[in-house]
Amino acid sequence: MHAPLTKPDTTRIGSATIAELRRKLPHAVLDESWQTPTQATITVKLDDLPNVVSTLYHEHDGWLSVMAGNDERSINGNFALYYALSMEGAEKSFIVVRAEVPAATEEFPSVTPLVPAAVWHEREVRDMFGLRPVGLPDERRLVLPDDWPEHLHPLRKDAMDYRLRPEPTGDDETYRFVNDAESETTVVPLGPLHITSDEPGHFRLFVDGEDIIDADYRMFYVHRGMEKVAETRMGYNEVTFLADRVCGICGYAHSVAYTTSIENALGVQVPERAQAIRAILLETERMHSHLLNLGLACHFVGFDTGFMQFFRVREKAMTLAELLTGSRKTYALNLIGGVRRDILGEQKAETLRIVSELREEVTRLVEMLLATPNLEGRVKGVGLLDPQIAREYSPVGPCVRGSGHKRDTRVDHPFAGYGRTTFPVHTGEGCDVLSRTLVRVGEFFDSLSIIEQILADAPGGPVLTEDFTYRPHKFALGFTEAPRGEDVHWSMTGDNQKLFRWRCRASTYANWPVLRWMLRGNTVSDAPLIVASIDPCYSCTDRVTVVDVKKAVSKTVPYKEMERYCRERTNSPLK
Amino acid sequence: MFKLLKEVLRTGEATVKYPFAPVEVAKDFRGKPEHVPENCIACAACTVACPANALGMQTDLSAGTRIWSIDYGRCVFCGRCEEVCPTDAIRLSTDFELAVADKADLRRTAVFRLASCVCCGKPFAPEKEVAYVAELLEATAPTKADAERRRQLVATCPACKRANDVVQIDTADVARTMETVR
Repeated sequence: MHAPLTKPDTTRIGSATIAELRRKLPHAVLDESWQTPTQATITVKLDDLPNVVSTLYHEHDGWLSVMAGNDERSINGNFALYYALSMEGAEKSFIVVRAEVPAATEEFPSVTPLVPAAVWHEREVRDMFGLRPVGLPDERRLVLPDDWPEHLHPLRKDAMDYRLRPEPTGDDETYRFVNDAESETTVVPLGPLHITSDEPGHFRLFVDGEDIIDADYRMFYVHRGMEKVAETRMGYNEVTFLADRVCGICGYAHSVAYTTSIENALGVQVPERAQAIRAILLETERMHSHLLNLGLACHFVGFDTGFMQFFRVREKAMTLAELLTGSRKTYALNLIGGVRRDILGEQKAETLRIVSELREEVTRLVEMLLATPNLEGRVKGVGLLDPQIAREYSPVGPCVRGSGHKRDTRVDHPFAGYGRTTFPVHTGEGCDVLSRTLVRVGEFFDSLSIIEQILADAPGGPVLTEDFTYRPHKFALGFTEAPRGEDVHWSMTGDNQKLFRWRCRASTYANWPVLRWMLRGNTVSDAPLIVASIDPCYSCTDRVTVVDVKKAVSKTVPYKEMERYCRERTNSPLK
Repeated sequence: MFKLLKEVLRTGEATVKYPFAPVEVAKDFRGKPEHVPENCIACAACTVACPANALGMQTDLSAGTRIWSIDYGRCVFCGRCEEVCPTDAIRLSTDFELAVADKADLRRTAVFRLASCVCCGKPFAPEKEVAYVAELLEATAPTKADAERRRQLVATCPACKRANDVVQIDTADVARTMETVR
């Protein structure tokens, strides 16, 4: 018999789960290390990797946050994979499952057949590191373009300079879009580009008449190579400003996630006041982001007056950001160890004034929106995300909360100044566009109250500590709850005052894979509305290709036309 | 519908006259960085701190100059340069209207002369930086002779300092000194 190898440690949250895992899978765990009292990394045998991840995921309420590949050949001769699981059962902690992949084989057993949430991550690690997930059902490229050289894997340390751009060799798209429809369908391509979006995508809707039977899509048309740039060109503090630019809407959440990851790795004690200020700014960001999405929700149901009203009021949230940070967007306030600006008395008073104005105005606008008769007709029961599908794919934010799952990083893993606040986690049972919209409404008002709570009792003192030194090859996770859901960063320090590896997982990355199920069974005119309801970093795509499976014809519809159809629902472009 | 109309009436006119009337920004708004070459000592601290590589320094030994430059097209207005500047030579203004008709106009430069080493006569560091450091060290020197020695030291290039050290160690006769002490 195998007794548990370690006694559960009460100061380390998650140790009981690991002890349980060791009992169930003896010999699987080779090593255990702790980055913070709530963050553990266990190294497991490569062959046991799928079992370990699946056990944590299915038996201990784990959700897959991120998987990071790492080229550790210069450290220990192998590649390594880090599956980070957010444990949301009895013990709320992060457990990172690490497995070493021998450089000689470059293969690992795929986790996806047991935990579907790993699919995008494993496709990405195959592109970026050339590690082959054996048994991965979806072997298409995820990130790299169709004509990218076959054996060039950008994130390998010996692969390429970050400035190298291989010449394009062809314009042919060889990507296979997946269609599970059993009968004939028509293809509607949506995309690939939209001028105002920062992240273009291409959608293919497989339709039968007006009904969407299946949908597939591809992203990464403008992959910016930020991880590579951070690892090769920038210093630790400079990357905080790069992280600010991961997203044009919720960049500060990324900046906090990145700095937290380094601070966790090095054990930096960030001053309480700095943490409080970070939380205030994160909530400021959430307010403007949710108002933007509520405005877009109005726009997509053809209620443009509401759109204008929400955007008018959103301006107050932008002004608040300008007041507190000196910039409407890209706050640029983080450094490793704290923040760069304090909130002074005058700013505090002004913030409280803006917060009360926002509360009053948005209350009126929300009443107005919900009283609009055609709203419910358009959003209720549309874009259903089955809670079971959600459980399998680990989506985040209002997207997963709208389907009844109570997960919010601010509550599950309190970070920054959230430990000193109390607020509810809003969930919806409708699983539809309406649920997700109402979750955002609830969260908007929470943001106001969180800002007030923190301003009322924020401790004084310094806002930045420089009392630490960088040590090589330390790693940890950093996480925030961005307006769209959890952002997770995994960072490892290097020995040259630069990051050895930075894996940045934006919230929408976790939400894309479930969109397919949300689109199925709806009509073409609801597609833009459903896509907007996950609040992707862009809310729309340029064109849609509709393929009618029965007539076996393909037709490209301009995005403007799709959007018009979504708003007016007359004169179908498919006829 | 009634609520909507009420809200529209209550709002009134939401637009502003900009660009025909100026628009006010927050007091601490981070806008265009303004460089004051008179204060700048070309120490390059800002170019190291700049995350976007908007700031740069180029040293031309043959011309004996160091050129400081800023590219407003690359600037991300983070204000790290302002934070690290020892002489208050760069500050973020509240100016946000940076559009130019010619891209080259986004680049601004300042040329600094290099000081020549007092020993070998080769240029090695900006004149103003040498003067700044010399002044700081002199101000804390205990004696006049010490101040003069420090001034000489700062005005010597690293290569000459190394050569001088060798000569000094040789003449100081370290072995004998140690014998005496014992």
